[in-house]
Formats: sequence, structure tokens, C-alpha cells
Amino acid sequence: MLNERAFKAVGKPLPRKEDLRLVTGKGRFTDDFNMPGQVWASMVRSPYPHARIVAIDVADALGMPGVLGVYTGVDCARDGLQPIPHNPVPSTNFDMKLTGPGGTKVFIGSHMLLPADKARHVGEAVAMVVADTRDQAQAAAEAVAVEYEELPWVADTLAAAEPDAPRLWDELPDNVLVDSSFGDAVATDAAFARAPHVVTMTAHIGRVTGAPLEPRAALGSYDAETGRYTLYAGSGGAVRQKREMAEVLNEPPENLRVISFDVGGNFGTRNRAYVEFGLVLWASKKLGRPVKFRAERSESFLTDYQGRDLVTEVSLAIDRDGKFLAMRASNLSNVGSRCASLSPLSKGAGLITGSYDIPVATLRARAVYSCTMPTQAYRSSGRPEVTFAIERLVDKAARELGFDRLELRRRNMVRPEQMPYVNAVGSTYDSGEYEANMDKLLALADWQGIEARRADAKARGKLLGVGFANYVESSIGTPKERADVIVRPDGVEVVIGTQPAGQGHETSFAQVTADLLGVPFDNVTITLGDTDVVSAGGGTHSGRSMRHASTVLALASVEIIEKGCALAAHCLGVERDAIQFDEGVFRVADRNTSLSWFDLAGRADDKSLPESLRGGLKVRCDSEMHTPVFPNGACCCEIEVDPETGGLEITRYSTVDDVGRCINPLIVHGQTHGGIAQGVGQALWEQCYIDPGSGQPTNGSFMDYGMPRFDNMPSFKTQIVEVLSPTNPFGVKAGGEGGTTPAPAVIMSAMEDALSEFGPMDIEMPATGLKIWSAIQQGRARLAASKTA
Amino acid sequence: MHSLRYLRPANVEEAVRIFNENEDASFLSGGHTLLPTLKLGLARPAALVDLTGIKSLRHITVGGDVLSIGAATCHADVASSDIVRRHIPALAGLAGSIGDRHVRNRGTIGGSVANNDPAADYPAAVLGLGATVVTDRRGLVADDFFTGLYETALESGEIVTRIDFPIPQIASYAKFRSAASRYSVAAVFISHGQSGVRVAVTGAGTNGVFRAKDLEQALSDDFRPEALADLHIDPASMSSDNVGTPEYRASLVMVMARRAMAHPGTTQSYK
Repeated sequence: MLNERAFKAVGKPLPRKEDLRLVTGKGRFTDDFNMPGQVWASMVRSPYPHARIVAIDVADALGMPGVLGVYTGVDCARDGLQPIPHNPVPSTNFDMKLTGPGGTKVFIGSHMLLPADKARHVGEAVAMVVADTRDQAQAAAEAVAVEYEELPWVADTLAAAEPDAPRLWDELPDNVLVDSSFGDAVATDAAFARAPHVVTMTAHIGRVTGAPLEPRAALGSYDAETGRYTLYAGSGGAVRQKREMAEVLNEPPENLRVISFDVGGNFGTRNRAYVEFGLVLWASKKLGRPVKFRAERSESFLTDYQGRDLVTEVSLAIDRDGKFLAMRASNLSNVGSRCASLSPLSKGAGLITGSYDIPVATLRARAVYSCTMPTQAYRSSGRPEVTFAIERLVDKAARELGFDRLELRRRNMVRPEQMPYVNAVGSTYDSGEYEANMDKLLALADWQGIEARRADAKARGKLLGVGFANYVESSIGTPKERADVIVRPDGVEVVIGTQPAGQGHETSFAQVTADLLGVPFDNVTITLGDTDVVSAGGGTHSGRSMRHASTVLALASVEIIEKGCALAAHCLGVERDAIQFDEGVFRVADRNTSLSWFDLAGRADDKSLPESLRGGLKVRCDSEMHTPVFPNGACCCEIEVDPETGGLEITRYSTVDDVGRCINPLIVHGQTHGGIAQGVGQALWEQCYIDPGSGQPTNGSFMDYGMPRFDNMPSFKTQIVEVLSPTNPFGVKAGGEGGTTPAPAVIMSAMEDALSEFGPMDIEMPATGLKIWSAIQQGRARLAASKTA
Repeated sequence: MHSLRYLRPANVEEAVRIFNENEDASFLSGGHTLLPTLKLGLARPAALVDLTGIKSLRHITVGGDVLSIGAATCHADVASSDIVRRHIPALAGLAGSIGDRHVRNRGTIGGSVANNDPAADYPAAVLGLGATVVTDRRGLVADDFFTGLYETALESGEIVTRIDFPIPQIASYAKFRSAASRYSVAAVFISHGQSGVRVAVTGAGTNGVFRAKDLEQALSDDFRPEALADLHIDPASMSSDNVGTPEYRASLVMVMARRAMAHPGTTQSYK
């Protein structure tokens, strides 16, 4: 269907169309919008991890300057507001089916805009103050007197799963909301029973937050004349926010308009609705004034949806030759106080066997509530966790059983001739050349030169560590996407329901459209983010956007080319079949006459056209695609540890990523770079730490939450591999998350290698200087003790 | 943030006068600590008196054996000053190692010294060089100036006008930075000059910047890195947080001291 020879834009590293706007301050972020008569909202937040709301006295706050209203959970209930319908259980045909214990329906605790019963995490909004100015609202929020009854709390993932842990929801006997099993447990047990080797590992992939540059914000207004609400709120997809906010407000969706133009970072944190979105809309109707909210950075740290937080216990049964016989995994996901998404647990569940051909496996997947901010799919939802588990387990197996870590991997990798490959928990890997990725990577990373570099580092008093990891991940996401393609005399407009937060959709979608229609790249514009224009769309998450957009655009192009042919036939006075379309030109075989898209568009509004050709040169096309794709690759890094301080430097970092068809290598490389930094951040610096004594989050600012910075990163070597996926017209897989997926595993693999002289180490992420130094001290003490013994 | 009066005097006399005229006023000289504190509502002064507009507080001069730096001189100016680089290169390096580019163009030496953050760099240089903190009222020697965490000998309304650094024979500074805040987890400033050897430690002590007398003694006898080989810092005097235990900090202090000695005349920053 696609004519690759005609590609003029696809595959080219074209500079991004959106950059001039963004770097010259012409971006339209939520906080850039202000409305006449606008007032400000500020939240009253719980200081306790778990507390019953006994009473809220708003009298003092109401008497303060500029205050227009103070609202509580009781008011929300009185107005009949509905909980946010997060719909957290993944439900495409290919998602792992999660259930409650014993196959029951998953219990989803109601997520009201403001709770009337109790606060379930530190920072949960329990009341909202609206005042003329932001300062007034904030001052009055401090004057709202909330009487709390403190309750026992639990924040830790394992502790929350204990039967006698403090309970968050009366509807459940404990905090476990999901308990599902996958794979063949009987066959797995049998394989383990006869295996000569079993290797086991437990790891906690800790909790992190996206820290987008643009703090979350919302501006809501209500028009009493039309009965319509407008919400400005940056998100991962305005269409979803519109549907969910309409439900919260008990309004038909057409009464809501959601606008999300430029978004300053997402990483998953913005892919679920925030209570403030509903609150500003609700208050705007009550007060007859537009209401705005903007989170402080400290509020973002406390109450942006967070990521990861999975405890995984994995075992591998291995035969004498190093062939993997079976795998067993138990994954426990901490969803926080309310269940916004089970995507991380579900996505990871389908990938526990990683890049390896493991005949049988079984997995128990559980999720627990805890007195913490809810977690959400965070860049590469669920995959870095399971990649960490399988890759670190394979490293451990190699070390304990005396195999070379690369050789052990090669012996077990899924081979190209096995594609499409169904893994032991039922995921169908679409395509890929996993071992070839490894070979490319080892060349790129100069694996041969490692020992020389190790010696050089040693001469400088440093410990060189080399990390290695393979990965395979999945891109599923919401299955539906819609595109409007409109050809006008001056260009082509595409309206689509994805939502970039820096991914460059305006560029890469234009490249695809340009080549599908045979028009210049510069003549294509992409319209996003206003639900009065964008009628449907799945939003941006799970690496879905390029794949779904190129697919729906390919379908739309067939339709609009057909329309163009019919119009051209009419204009040239020939039969439809006499028209040939090639590279953007409609012509008749035996004539010199031809028409371009833009010539045709000039005639498309002609009143004299027959009925069937009227209505403009445009199509609306819907596609529904459930089949997932499986981006994959390999990754290698080198670190130098300073044994005296526990400090380290990443000296080399190389990746090979099979993204399927690469539409724009400049953008994909950039995505990989950012993805690497995000994954490395989790391994080395980032952590949403909760004080075990008080339940208080202690990382409330950039002073104590360590972000990845450019001066902590080497110059990356990233190589793109394009094994086209057979599942969609362009063969796209995904390029946004592959940088992140293997990063925690590869950094910790390097750490273990660097410290190997001290024996097996047990360093939990983030591997801070303190932890590394302490591990070295303990290792030295062990070595000294074994010498004297 | 609550509303307040922002005042920008042109000279020290005016600064003193408007400070006295405004109840509950606070001096501002960079604001990297004060402004976040205000935003969090932890301090609520009624007025801010910004000292950075006072030209007489922005200078770098040498007279005799003393290098003087005006209190409102920003870190970037100290870092790039030929005078500082020539006479006390470790001090220029220290200024260049503070925070990031934005911080260095806003933060001032007077603000840092008056704030006496236990992890700040300048207090180590002031104490480690035996400098004199000159105010609108008097001169305070470094040993008397720093009195505890965020505490100094400054009285209410007293303005630091300049710091006088005796130019040493040699000085060096080594620091280990926090990955998140970039403040020092432990840092050591060592100088050898007219008044002998001085060793100041910042970032690590429970009571803020302090002089490591054992190290000074050892280096007075033998000013070589080897002289520190068998010395230790007592963890009991070290602070503890998520970034470092007392034992870790005690170890880092000795490592930084040895590295400072190994790289004379420089600032070394480790992470």
C-alpha cells in the first residue's frame, strides 16, 4: 500500500515545526491563558497520611479579604458531583486481564474531587478556597480550620499488603485490590522441581515523580447563556479529560470544551484527570466567574500523580547448559490512596520473560492501596520494572553459575524465525532481531576495549563498571484514533486527538501526511488540543501516538485520494477510472493536463459540482487497532565509581533501539536521550521518599529530589534499528520510551560490575553516594573478616 | 507569597535608615535562601531591603596583604575576577563552584556569609582563610563571626559591607556535592599563610562550619597530604540526613582534606 520510493519527508531528520514557536515564547501553556473577571483557587491539603475529617470550620476563611467561597467534600456531595471515572483497569483485547482476589471485580475506591469522609494521603485536597487573587486564596486556605482524627496509616508497599495493615477502604477486607495469576503454574512448578539451578531475586523499583517543567494548572469558566463549560488544562489528551469531567459534573459531553495546546512535560503525570480540573469548573458555575488554579512546585511534588513503586520477586529455573527452563514472578504494585491506573502492573505482567525464550512461566500480579499519592503510568509504564527484574536476574544467574553474562543471554534469546513469538504469559511479540541488536550494540559500545578502559580507570583510582541489558517492551494504548484531513487551496490540515508534550507531533505527523498525499512537508499543518475542533482521539501515552496517527492517516489518505480522483475526473471531464494519482498529481494517462491537490481544493467549494462531490475536499476517518507492537533493543553503559567517596560518573552510554519505522530520526534520537536521562534518574538520584516514622513525604523540592542533569550525563551513542512491524501500514513500533526501559537495569548492572571485587552487593535504587560508599565499607569488612577467618 | 514592601536603597546609610523605619524588615542580598523561605510562608517580613543596588558594596580590591570583596559582589564576579584568581585562586574556584550559573549571577558573598547555611561554601573560605567580616559598625574576625547553624555574631540591622581576606601563601578547597541540591555534603578549605595553617569544614558539622584543629596541627608540623594519612574525624560531630550519615561525612571530610592538599591552589568539586 505504501510507496517507499515516494518518501520525501518520512525518515528524514527534519527540524521541528513547533520549535520556533516554543523557543520564542509563543507557546500557549495553560497558565498563559487568563479571562476577564478571573479569580483564583487554592487548596487546603491534609497534613496527615490518613485521617478522618471530623469537621471543617470555614467561617474565619470566609471573612478574609477577597474570599468568594470555601468548598468542602460535603458541598461536592450535596451538588451531586460524581467521582472521577479513571477507568483504571486496562481493557484492550491484548491487555493482561486483572481481577480482584478470587477473580472478583477490581474494587475502585471512589475518587471524589474533595473527600467528605477522610484524607488518605499527605497533601490530599480536603477543601478549596476561591478568592479574588491567588495570594488571598492561599492566605485564606491557611485559615480553614479542619478538625482531623488521625488514623493508623501505611505507606510502604509490602507493609500495605499485610492482612493486618491499616485499611484505607472499608469496602475491602484489606488493601489488596488486585490479585491475578497468569501463565501455567503447574508446568512451571514441574520445571522448577527438576531444574538443576534456581536463581531468585527480590527488588523494589521505587517511587518517582515526573516533575514536568510546567506545573499543572487549570482555568475553568462557565457560560450561563450557553450552559457550556470551558476548561484550559494541559494534559495527555483533551478528549479524555472532556469525557471524564462531563461525567464528574453530570453534564452531557457537548456541554464541555477542553483546551490543551502546548504542554510543558507529561511523562504520564498528566494522563489522568486531577481533582483541580473539576473543582475550577464547578466553582466557576457557582460563582459566575472564571476560576484559575496553578500548583506550586511543592504542590506538584506532593500531588502530581507519581510513578513506579513495584516490588518484584522473580525466580529462574536453568538447566546445566544455561538454558532457561521456567520463570516465576510475583509483582506487587502500590497504587496509592486511589486507583488512577493499573497500566503499570498490567503492562509489566505481559513482559516478565523479557527478550528470552522461556518455555513456561507463572506470574502473580497484585496491587495494593496505601496512604500515598496515587501512582499512574509513568514513562514506559511497567516495563522498566520487569526489565529490571529479568535482566538483573540473568546477571545474577551468570555470576552465581559461572556463565558469561552475554553468552547466557545469547543462549536464550527469542530468535527472528520465532516471530511472531508468543511468550509464556501470552504476549505476542510482533517482530524483531534481538540478538542482532546485541551485536550492533557491542560494536557501538566498543565492548572489546573495556578491559583497557578498566585498567586506565584503575590507574586513576576509579572502579570501572560495565552494565548491559536487553529489553523488549510493548506499546498498546487506547485503540481508537480519529483524523480529519482537510485539503485547502493553501495547504493541508490534519486534525487529530493525540496530545504532545514535547514529542514533536506537529512535525512527524506532517511528514507522514506529506508523503501519503504527495504534498510538500511545509504545506501540512497539524491541529491538536481543542475539543471543539478535535472530536475524538485517544491521547498520548504508551508510545501509541506515532503508530495510531500514521495508521489513521494512511486510511484517511486512501479515502481522500479517492475523493480527489472523483473530483479530478469531473473537472477534467473524464471517467473516474481514467484518473491516475501519483506523487500528489492527478492526471489523465494520455493527456498533458494535470491537477494538483491545491488546484482541486480551489474547485471543491464550487456550487455547480454534483451533489456527490460537494462539501469540500476533506475526510474524517476512524481507526481501531488493538494489536500491540513490541519495541526492543539493547543497552550498555560504563560508570566510574570513586571508591573513597561513593561518587560516580557515567562515562559511556550506548543504545540500539528497534523502533520499527522511524519517521523522524532527529526526534527519535531526542526521545531516546530524554528517555535515558529519565531512567538513569530513577537508578541514581530520584525518589519520592516517605519518612517511615511520620508518613510525611520528604522530597518536596529540587533541593532534595535529585533530577538528572546534563552535566551528569555523557554524550550518548544511540543507534536506531528499523525492523518494520507487520501490524500497521508504516511498520511503526514506538520510540518514546525505549531509552527509559532498560536504563535502571543497565545502571545497576554497571554498579554491580564496578563493585564486583567486594562481592555481591545489595544496593537499592536510587544508588546514592552514601549507599555506594556504605556497600564498599561492608564489602571491605567482609573481605577482611574472611581473610582473618 | 504574602505581599510586602520591596525597597532598594542606594547607599548603606539609606539602607540602615529604611531598615529602622520599617518594622519587621529583612535585608535581601541575592535571596536564594530568603525567597524560597518567603514562598513557603516560613518567614513573613513586612519589608525587604535589597542591598544589591548599593554600588559601594560591589568591589574587589587588593591592598597590601589583604584581598577585599564587597558584600554585594555576586559569585560570578568573584569567580571571574583576575584579582581573585591571581591572589587566591582557590577562592575564585570556590565561587565558581557554587550552585549553577543562575545562582552565581544572583547570590552574593555577603548574603552567603550572613546567612551561614551549614552547607554553604563561602563560610569555609572565610573561616579557612581567617578573614575579617567588616560591617557598618565594626570588624569581626571569622572565628568570632560564625556562631551556629544559620547564626552569626551580626546584630539586628547590622550590614556586612565587605570581607577582608588575608592573602595566604597557598590555599585549596575540595567539596563533595549533593546530587540534588548541589550543596556540599562535606567540603574542606585549607590555607597556609601569615597566621599558620587553617582548615575549615563546611557541609558536615552538626553546628555548621568549623575548624578541624587536629588537621591544622598535623599540617602545621608537615604541610603535605601524607600528614593526614592516619587522622580521623569523630562522627559524633557530624550531621545526618538522607544524603549522608555521620560516618559517611566523617570519611568524606578526610578524603576532601587529602584531595585539597593534593591539589594546592585550586578548588576541586566532586560528585
